[in-house]
Amino acid sequence: MRFGIAFKLGCLMALFGMVPTGLAGYYIYNSSREMLLQAAERDLLTSVQVLGRNLHSSLRNISLDATVLTNGAQVHELGELTNPATRKTVGDNLAESFRAMLLAHPDYMQIRLISATDHGLELVRQDRDGADIVRVDGADLQEKAHYAYVFETLRLAPGAVRISPIVINHEQGAHSGLGKPTLHVSTPVADAAGKVFALLVINVDLDQLFSQLQSDLPKEYQVYLSNRWGDLLVHPDHRRTFGFDQGRRLFLQDEFPEVAGLLSDKAPGSLISRSVEQGQQDRLVAAFVRLSHNGDAEPFVVLGLGQPQSHVLAKVSRVGNSIVQIALLFSVLALLAAFIASRALIRPLRSMTDAVELFSRERKISVLAPRDDELGVLAHRFHAMKQEILGQLDDLTSSRAAFEHLARHDPLTELPNRRMCFERLEQALIEAREGGKKMALLFVDLDHFKEMNDQYGHRFGDQVLQAVAKLLTTASDGADCVARLGGDEFVISFCDVKDPQKIAALLEKLHQCFQLPLFIDGRKVQIHASMGVSLFPRDGDDIGTLVQHADHAMYKAKSAGRNRYLFEMHSSD
Amino acid sequence: MKYLRPLGFLLCGLFAWLPAGAAEQTLRVLAWPGYADPDLVSVFEKRFKAKVEVTLVGSDEVLRAKLSENQGGDFDVIAANTAEIHRYVNQGLLQPLHPERIANTARQLPRFRDYARIPDIVVDGQVYAVPYAWSDMGLIYDRKQFSQPPDSIQSMWDPRFQGRVLAFNTSNHNFSLASLALGGDPLRISAADFPRVADKLIALRRNVLTFYSLPEEAAELFRSHSVTLIFANYGRQQLKQLRDAGVDVGYVVPREGVLAWLDCWAISKGARDMRLANEWINYMLEPDVSRALSERQDLSNTVQEPVDASPSNRMIWLRPVEDDQRRAQLWQRIVSGERPPLVEVR
Repeated sequence: MRFGIAFKLGCLMALFGMVPTGLAGYYIYNSSREMLLQAAERDLLTSVQVLGRNLHSSLRNISLDATVLTNGAQVHELGELTNPATRKTVGDNLAESFRAMLLAHPDYMQIRLISATDHGLELVRQDRDGADIVRVDGADLQEKAHYAYVFETLRLAPGAVRISPIVINHEQGAHSGLGKPTLHVSTPVADAAGKVFALLVINVDLDQLFSQLQSDLPKEYQVYLSNRWGDLLVHPDHRRTFGFDQGRRLFLQDEFPEVAGLLSDKAPGSLISRSVEQGQQDRLVAAFVRLSHNGDAEPFVVLGLGQPQSHVLAKVSRVGNSIVQIALLFSVLALLAAFIASRALIRPLRSMTDAVELFSRERKISVLAPRDDELGVLAHRFHAMKQEILGQLDDLTSSRAAFEHLARHDPLTELPNRRMCFERLEQALIEAREGGKKMALLFVDLDHFKEMNDQYGHRFGDQVLQAVAKLLTTASDGADCVARLGGDEFVISFCDVKDPQKIAALLEKLHQCFQLPLFIDGRKVQIHASMGVSLFPRDGDDIGTLVQHADHAMYKAKSAGRNRYLFEMHSSD
Repeated sequence: MKYLRPLGFLLCGLFAWLPAGAAEQTLRVLAWPGYADPDLVSVFEKRFKAKVEVTLVGSDEVLRAKLSENQGGDFDVIAANTAEIHRYVNQGLLQPLHPERIANTARQLPRFRDYARIPDIVVDGQVYAVPYAWSDMGLIYDRKQFSQPPDSIQSMWDPRFQGRVLAFNTSNHNFSLASLALGGDPLRISAADFPRVADKLIALRRNVLTFYSLPEEAAELFRSHSVTLIFANYGRQQLKQLRDAGVDVGYVVPREGVLAWLDCWAISKGARDMRLANEWINYMLEPDVSRALSERQDLSNTVQEPVDASPSNRMIWLRPVEDDQRRAQLWQRIVSGERPPLVEVR
């Protein structure tokens, strides 16, 4: 395929149009992708911090609930009351307030008052059991002193609140709380003297607590929670949580390696991490925040919010799509502009080319639409050049025609010369042979021409020759060619002789003409001629033989006394 | 000849494919922490061009649950103690193995090759496991609080140490301990003795600080609650951990006897690749690997005698107990804090 200048020019222009559009689009896409990713990370970080604060405030509220319950009427005296009836009343009142609290907070599974003595015997206990609240009483009360939420809380000062690590509640008879991930919020209860005699424990269902916290979050956010060692407690995949409870520990830092820093280092309270476990295609981007309880140096939990990177990138790809669309639109426009521009430039060029082609083919000068620009000037110059060429060509043709004429004619008599005569004879012979025609060749030689030349001068001789030529031409009508072979020799040829008698008649006519005097240069001159004839095919088969025969015939006439003609007529002719 | 060429290509293709197929072989190992450390596993993976999936478990119960989950189909090799091995054989979760096909069994101490005298690993004349690691569950004590090492498990019930004893949160061992403390057979508690043993356990509950699950937890509690005595469920492993944490502790084997376990490697019924499973066991018995186990985990291996071997007459090798379900049910109630008398609904 041949690429014309129009195509190349169009491509170049289109390239100039498309490349900047494409590059600009690419850079806009890249920077907006980066911005969106950063924005998404910022959002995540903000959300996780808000979630952390919400968790904190939830825990604070639970702590407040715990302290409120310990400040109920007569609770502090419970340790010193000895009268069983009074103890029962106080216990019942307390159970009622526990019940009210459980009713108000669906995420509370159990509220208990546990004795600091009697191996941690539960004193008052209310359990959630499905839709009901159940009071556990009498022999069903259990000893809990060996649980950390008891022995650790009893070491605290009155008023302090302990928030336990999150565990699965395996305590038999725990009703709805059994087998649930549980947070124990506990506070010691002291008597009037400040001696701790019991503790109050609220069991919080982690799932419910988190479903409340999570309810405000966008659906695509995934919540992570780990304890201070990184054991997974909340994870989008439920099977991964509480691995330690089944003897298989699954750590958050295995999935998000940067989290290890949060667990050990005290410096940053939050960070962004990307998951390593999932395929490269759908990695998670997540923000984590370390939550400490009561300003403890050690993290209480690490809370995280994750989002599939693909989700963030989906936004980016939407932006990318519109950028691509815009870039495509501008590219198409650029292509169109390039096409139009190249057409506008190429059309006058092409019409000029057409004009030149027409000129070279047919020597015609076409008129182009006038233009004022450089192309117009070029077209004008072309026009002038073509006219000049045409003029010169005409000159050349006419001078060549003159040369041609000169080469084939006798300049003196304007009769065909020997060369042209023989050419014509050859041509005529071919036609005669093919057509079975007869040809006649007349040789005319002037008598005593040399003497006349010597006597009157060459100029006069020339005038005689001119006069004879005129005479021969006018007298021999029907002749195909009257030519001067040179000197005073003339040839008259007939290509299609139907009747040789006519030749004889012509000879006679010519002879008669030569008998009349010629007036040349004011002088009366008597010119005689001797003539011989040859006939084709009778006298020869080629021009040479025919000419020779005619010449012989003419010489015979001269020998016979000049001023006569010789034409042998046979009976067959 | 014309037909040989495609056949040749086919064979070449097959040979090219075979090692690739072998490279994708996965050995699924179910073991205890420290039995399949990543560095040792990666040596094995490189040597046999296989992938090893290690699942670690922290208790017999979890091990049992994991193995039986898919009738043994989820794992190829497992590490379990002799008693558990016997139980799994009875449940049809294991397949017999051939020690003669595991070359390194020749390197083991003679008493670990005398399969007939090792409890529970020979069933109906078939060997089901190869011993690998063993440990006894003695008592760890705080040297600062004892002028003389405690020599009896009764110390765990000693009211002087109330709130400073750590016991382990498990049903079988605790019942065995209580029975032993009562002077009975630790592994065969008669039905009539159960209430007495349960009461003894409630007494234990009332004397301990807590029942721990993970050794890290025990170590942390030891330091924060001036614990005097720990039932070393994890044996000398736990002793090492505490010493590494800078605590001055000692280890005793009580005069009543010490529960000891012998962990063996066995091949699951659902093993996919017997050859690879045998190679794994063989690799585990290599002197370097076994020594690594002892050095890193403070467990005794079966290739060399430990530095301070326990008097063998006090060893009580763990075997299936009379009724572990009954023990487990009762234990759940005891640890939940139920008060005596425990009434069993049977």
